[in-house]
This record gives sequence, C-alpha cells and structure tokens, in this order.
Amino acid sequence: MKSKINLFLFDFSVLSIFRRGSKNIFIFFVFTLLIFLLSSVLFISNSIKSELDTTLNALPDITVQRLQAGRAINMPLSRLNKLLAIDGVNAVIPRVWGYYYFANAGANFSVVGIDQFEDQYRDLYTKLCDKFNFDKLKKDSGMLIGSGIDQMLKNNFYQGYFNFVKPDGSLAKVKIDGVFKADTALESNDVIVMPIKKVREIFGMKPDEAVDFVIKVANPSEIPNIARKITEIYPDTRVITKEDLKISYQNLFDYKGGLFLALFVISTFTFFMIIYDKASGVSSDEKREIGILKAVGWTIDDILKEKFYEAFVISFVSFITALCLSMFYVYFLNAPLLRNIFIGYSNLKPAFDLPFSFDFQTFAIIFFLTVPIYIAATIIPSWRVASMDADEVMR
Amino acid sequence: MLLTPEIITILALDFIFLFFGTIAFFISIRIARYWDLNSTTPLQYKLEKQSFLVATIIKYIFVVKLPLFLFFIFTANKLSNVIVGAMCAAGVVNSVSFGSAMFFYKILNLYIFGFWLVLNHFDLKNENQPYTRYKFLLYAIGFIFLLVEIYLDIDFFTSLDVSKLVSCCGALFSAASTSSFSFIFTVNKLYFVYIFYAIFVLLMISYIFKNAFVVLSLNLIYVFIAIISLIVFFGTYIYQLPTHHCPFCMLQKNYDYIGYVVYITLYIGTFFGISGAIMSILEKKKEKFYYNVSAIFNVIYAIIISAYPITYYIKHGAWL
Amino acid sequence: MIELKNVTKEFKVGAKDKVVALKDINLHVQKGEIVLLKGPSGSGKSTILSLIAALNKPTIGEVIVDGKRVSKLADNFTSLFRRENIGFIFQRYNLIPSLSAKENVIVPLIPSNPDSNWLEDRLQELFQNFSLESKMEVMVKNLSGGEQQRVAIARALVNNPSIIIADEPTANLDKKLSLEFIEILKKLKNGHNSIIIASHDPLFFDLDFIDRQIDIHNGEIL
Repeated sequence: MKSKINLFLFDFSVLSIFRRGSKNIFIFFVFTLLIFLLSSVLFISNSIKSELDTTLNALPDITVQRLQAGRAINMPLSRLNKLLAIDGVNAVIPRVWGYYYFANAGANFSVVGIDQFEDQYRDLYTKLCDKFNFDKLKKDSGMLIGSGIDQMLKNNFYQGYFNFVKPDGSLAKVKIDGVFKADTALESNDVIVMPIKKVREIFGMKPDEAVDFVIKVANPSEIPNIARKITEIYPDTRVITKEDLKISYQNLFDYKGGLFLALFVISTFTFFMIIYDKASGVSSDEKREIGILKAVGWTIDDILKEKFYEAFVISFVSFITALCLSMFYVYFLNAPLLRNIFIGYSNLKPAFDLPFSFDFQTFAIIFFLTVPIYIAATIIPSWRVASMDADEVMR
Repeated sequence: MLLTPEIITILALDFIFLFFGTIAFFISIRIARYWDLNSTTPLQYKLEKQSFLVATIIKYIFVVKLPLFLFFIFTANKLSNVIVGAMCAAGVVNSVSFGSAMFFYKILNLYIFGFWLVLNHFDLKNENQPYTRYKFLLYAIGFIFLLVEIYLDIDFFTSLDVSKLVSCCGALFSAASTSSFSFIFTVNKLYFVYIFYAIFVLLMISYIFKNAFVVLSLNLIYVFIAIISLIVFFGTYIYQLPTHHCPFCMLQKNYDYIGYVVYITLYIGTFFGISGAIMSILEKKKEKFYYNVSAIFNVIYAIIISAYPITYYIKHGAWL
Repeated sequence: MIELKNVTKEFKVGAKDKVVALKDINLHVQKGEIVLLKGPSGSGKSTILSLIAALNKPTIGEVIVDGKRVSKLADNFTSLFRRENIGFIFQRYNLIPSLSAKENVIVPLIPSNPDSNWLEDRLQELFQNFSLESKMEVMVKNLSGGEQQRVAIARALVNNPSIIIADEPTANLDKKLSLEFIEILKKLKNGHNSIIIASHDPLFFDLDFIDRQIDIHNGEIL
C-alpha cells in the first residue's frame, strides 16, 4: 500500500495521449462540451437561486391574503387592528399592488403602491423614497420605473409618460419621474412604483381595501405560532411564511435542474458508449506496443494503471477546461441562450447579470457526474488491452 | 420523491456500481469455484486474466465510494434545508425509519471494500496467490452488501418527503428520545470519557507488543467508544453547548467542517488497525506499516478530540 | 540455469485443430553459456524462447529458471519475472517508434519506479557504450537501422538481465549491421549472462564464442 506516485508511468501515459492524438482529441472535445453544458446549467441555476435567496430574504416574514372560493380577493383595511393586537406582531402593513398587462409588449408590469410615511416593507422602496423626491411624485402623480420597463417603453415609443387603461376603459396618463436599478435585478426590473392612490385608481380598487397584508414579527421563531393565530382569527385567510416560499422555490429549482440533469444523465450514458467504443478499437500498432510492454516486464496491473492515468488525465483536463469555459460563459457573457431555460418570462427581464455564486457542492456534482463515469467507461476496454497475450511480439 | 441534482448524481453512480459490480460478481463466483493455480487449462488462464478485471472494478468502486459517501452526508445536510424540522443530516437521515441503520451500514461497507483491497494487495505479492479464492468469496459477499446499500439508497431518496415533519437532531440525540441512541444519555457521560481514554491507552500499548488479536479487538472497541464518547461528551465541546449531542452538525460549515477531519482520521486509524491485524494473523507476520499508520491516525484523532474540551477549559476556567 | 523438462507445446488453430510446435523437448542452459538455436522458420525456435521468457506456457512439462518454475506462474508474476531476469532482443527491434531513444530504453524500468539519479547514470553508461549519446532525445523512427538496433540492445540490457534472449536478431539487417550485432554480442559474454539466440542466419554458425549450437527441426531437438 506504500505506493508513491510513479511519475515515469505518469509521463508515459501523458506521452501516449499525445501519441494517439487524433483519437483522444475527439473524445476530449465531446467530453468537454458535455461537461460545459452541465456546469453552465448548474451555474445558472445556482446563480438564480442565490439571487432569489436575496429576494426572499428581503420578503416580509408573513404575508396574509384573503381567499374567496379559493382565489385571493382584496383585504378590508378594517382587519388591520385585530392583527396588530396579536402578541409578537411588530407591524402590519397593507399592500396595494398588482400586475398590469401591457399588450403591446406582451408583458406584465408589477405596479406597486407606496406611501412615504408608512412603514416600508421592503428595503428597495425605502431607498427609493430617500433617493427620489417623493413629494414631487405625489404632487404630479408620477411614477418610478425599473430599468427593464424603461427599455421596454422606449421600444414602444413612450417618452416620459405612460397611458394605463383603467377598468372602465378610460386612460390614466402617468409621468415617469425616474428610473431605478436595484441590487438584485431579477426582482425589480419589471417594477413600477407610484403613490398608493394612483395604484388604486388604475386598478379600480376601493379606498378601504388593500391587496394583502404583510406582517413584521419580532422573533422569527414565533412565526409559526403567529401564523396559526391569524388563521384562527380569520379563517378565510391564507398565511404564507417566508420559510414556505423558500422551500417551494428551492423545490422548483431543484426540479428544473433535476429535469435537465435527468436528460444529461441519458446523454452521459450515450457518451459512455462512445468512449467504450473508442477505447475498444485497438489498432495493430497499439496491440504490438502492449505486447512489447508485457514482454519487457509490465504486468497487467501496470498497463491498467497506465490506462487509468490516461483516462484520468483526459477526463480531468476536460473537466477543468469545461469548468473554466462555463464560468466565463455564465458569469462573464451572462449565459446567452441557455439561461432562457430557467427564466420563463425572459422577454421582460432582458438584462440582468448573473451574480457569481460557486459552492463546493456544485463542483462535486459536476465532478461525480463526469470524471468517474468517463473512467468507468474505460475499465473494460483497458482490461481487454492489458490482458492480451504478450507473445504477440514474437509473431 | 425529490429530484435534486445531488440525488441524481448519487443514483447515477449507484447505477454504475450496480452494472460493474454485477459483472465482477459473476466472474468472482466463477473464480471462487474453479481457481486452480496448478492447472494449465485455458479456463484457468482466462480466470487469471479476469481476476484483474474484478480487482480493477472493486478498486474503482471503492475509490469512488469513499468521496461519494462524504458527498452523501453533504447532500443530507443540504436536504435539511428543504425538509421541515431537520437542522442537519441527522434529521434527514432519520426521516426514514431505516436511516441511521443505513448510515452505519454504509460505513461498514467502506471497511469491507477497503479490506478487500488490502487482501488483494497481499494476494498479489505472493506467487502462490494464497488468498485468491477467499478474496473473491469476500467480494461475492461484499456485492450482496453493495446491492442492499444501493436498494437502501433508492428507497431512502424515494421516501424522503418534503412535507413531512421530522425531528431535528436535538430531539434525536437526547435522553428523552425513544431512538436507539437514547440509552447512552442515561449513563453518566464521564464514564464514557474514562472508557475512551482507557481504551486509547490500551490501544497504544497494544501497538508496542503488536499482538494481532489484541490490536484487532481494541480497534473495534475503539471505533464504538470513540463515536459514543463523541456524541455524549466531546461533541458538546465542539458546539460549546452542553445539550447539543448531534454527530452530524459538526459536518456543517458553522463548525468549519471539522467533522470530516474527525471522522476521516478515525476511519483511517481504525481501518489500518483492523486490516493490519487481520493480515498479521493470515500472514503470520507483524504488519508494522499498517500498525504505524493506524497508531498515527488514532493519536491524531485523540488529539483533535481532546483539544476541544481542553481549550474550552483554558478559556473559560470551567467544564461545560 | 535454465531447464526445460519434457516440454510439449500445442497451439490451437481454429476451433478444433491444433498444431504441435514442440514435442517433448529437454534442454539445459548453464549460467554464462551462449546457446544458438538454429533451424528453419517454423521449426519451434521462437516457441522455446517464449517459453523460457514465460510469455507462453507449455501444454505439458515445465520450465524452470534459477530454480523457479516459471511455467506455473500466473500472468502477473511472469511479467515480474521478465522484468527482473530477461532482456529481449526482437526481430525487427520492436521499439516504440513514436518515443525517443531514451524513452524506449526506460520502458522496462517504468513499472518499478526507479530512482531518477540512478536511472540517469545507468542511461549515460548504456548510451555511451553504444555510442548513442547524441541520439538520446531523437525519436526512434528518425534513427538509422543500426542506431535502432543498438537502442533495442540497450533496452534489453537496461535491467541487468541474467538471461538475454535474441529472436532472429539479424533477420532484418544487412550484412554490415549483422556483423556489428555479432561484435556487440561478443562483448556481452561475461560469464554471468546466459544468452540464447534463435536464428537461421549462417553468420552465426561458426563463431567461436558461441558455446553450443542446437538444431531444431519440426519441434524436436536433433
């Protein structure tokens, strides 16, 4: 068991790879491409996941919706005080927001109403209130829009304003007071912010109603208790906690990634067959060489070791190359084409950067799904070669 | 069933193990039955060659299995974010009834496959290949173990349920729990500490005299007492929390992944001790190299594990 | 000492037929002896060589080298046996053409993972003996016939073998190179090595440094 690494053998293996260059270069390219695809997809999904995580962390601890016939309906503001009275609740904030469908671009805008003096439930809007002159916004009933929307409106020849179609068919012309860019592009690219009053007007909502309530809690470990109490007080409500959301998002992404991976595994086994086939095709030169090696004292084990080094070097170099390529592709080029798999509503979110996120686990997954499988595919062909009769050379 | 990339990875490799393991199994049976070094028949000649295929496959499985096992723990830790109530791998592993049994079973398999490689090494050192039949019989049994493990893997991952509430490690590793571990918390934990150090001292003495049976049995006892004392006593100092008894949480980032170092040293130390002792009995010769490696790693384990309570005492002037 | 005891070797041809290559051969080669096996091609000379080198196993009988029954060794151990005891000089050199002269000579030593200082000295010595110092890094396929032959001999000697086996060493050489080879062979005789040559080249027939000549015909010693 005290075998230090045999550098001579390693050298010999590397030389063999180059000596049979054309055969190996084909395998190298295919394998690199395969690993590249796999790692790119995993990087993208990781990246989006980490972006979502930041978004989710900024979310309120508890969101309360009112349900009727299984669908969410508006929440009367009169319920606010009873919720505030629950122990452990720090604040209850009514939210007025909605999706506005812009038919020309075929996209949904998220329209969010804010009020400077109300507790802001998201850091972003707090920052917006500080940055832009809110009084002015209120006075001329203007709006602030995310950079994604800005782009889209410009494409549709809106300059400085936008016409919302109200439920009764009349138009509401709203001035654009500013464009903002948030830390996490995914969440705020499609957001329009305007005073609450204006949002109610556009969506035709009554003044004593909100879309839902968000609740701030003093002690996060009390969240399940508070959630239970809310459903006891108002049985017609749905209470969504941050934890719930996190889990369902993680599942969604694992599911999407998993689906891709299932496909990948199938293609890996196809590749397995290709390597198997390539490695099995032994030329007469190679046969003779094995004969020479065995005649001069190489054991089956030595030849197997040599073949293993070859397989390991090829697969590991492919692995590293592909990893570097896909890091460049995903984090530098922002993964053109591929990321559309993950972002369904891509037409509204044209330009967001994938944040760098790399963990050991992804590395391990990519490694385990590629290098050992490659090496496995070479086991039987290598053994066949290694156990050929040595007296080949005498003929 | 959860379809996370990690689970797919583990299952894909399980499939490879299954495929190659089966090939190796059938060859092994044949070799165990027909091996005869004195015969010059084509069959014997063929078997000699095939024995290398089997050896290569087993090496492959072992070498991939080792890191894959660590990856399995890693995955279980990650799944603990998804499964309600679980805080670490313990909760995830125990979310199915056979969880902890499976876990220890996996470790047992690592010892078996590792020992096979040692046996193979000794077999190929001797021109008479004295262990050939035994090693292939051993593999045939090991393959059955492997099959069960793969079955358990699949069963485990398919029965993981996101919506089911599981106990966290705090509940599992406490005296109040009804789990199989709980009895150890009813005894004064200091007894385990005394036993641990007593066994450790005996073990070190045994390396001096190198009696194979003594080394073997002490190493076996050492694994168990090391793990038990880790759970009841040393672990609490890693967490600096007298009630935290989980053997899995220390594998997480919060504790600098120290658990991996701890378990790997324990594995190497006892593995070399056990297999060295068995080989000494078989070879009728003292396997010094194995004993030395074993001694070194067992000492490292003891040092790491003792360092936690000692530094705690120095810093705080009191025990937990 | 090399000993072949009642050795018969059959080769399978096709599914059922077999060819008897050697019939009940008995042969002793003493330490330090140089032996020439002669006979037409197909007479079984090469088979004897491959049995001594344990590249093949006898169908009946046994081969004993230095007290070791090499015909009973498993495949792996025959390789180890060759690594330690045998130096091979093949017909057509059998070098690996895409490796350099130096790399070719190292090949037999690679599995034993030699000490690199020792190896460097050994290579210097060998390449000097065969006046190939300037050709060390040259790829074998770019060497002349004579140079290739010397590289092949250097490779056979690199592991200090106690037995040197040469199979039709001059079959592909012109007269000049053949004579050169015989000169080298003469130098190799030092009392420690047993050298066994299989050849039907008349150049070998009356060389005084060859201790014994054995005629092989149709798988039998005449």
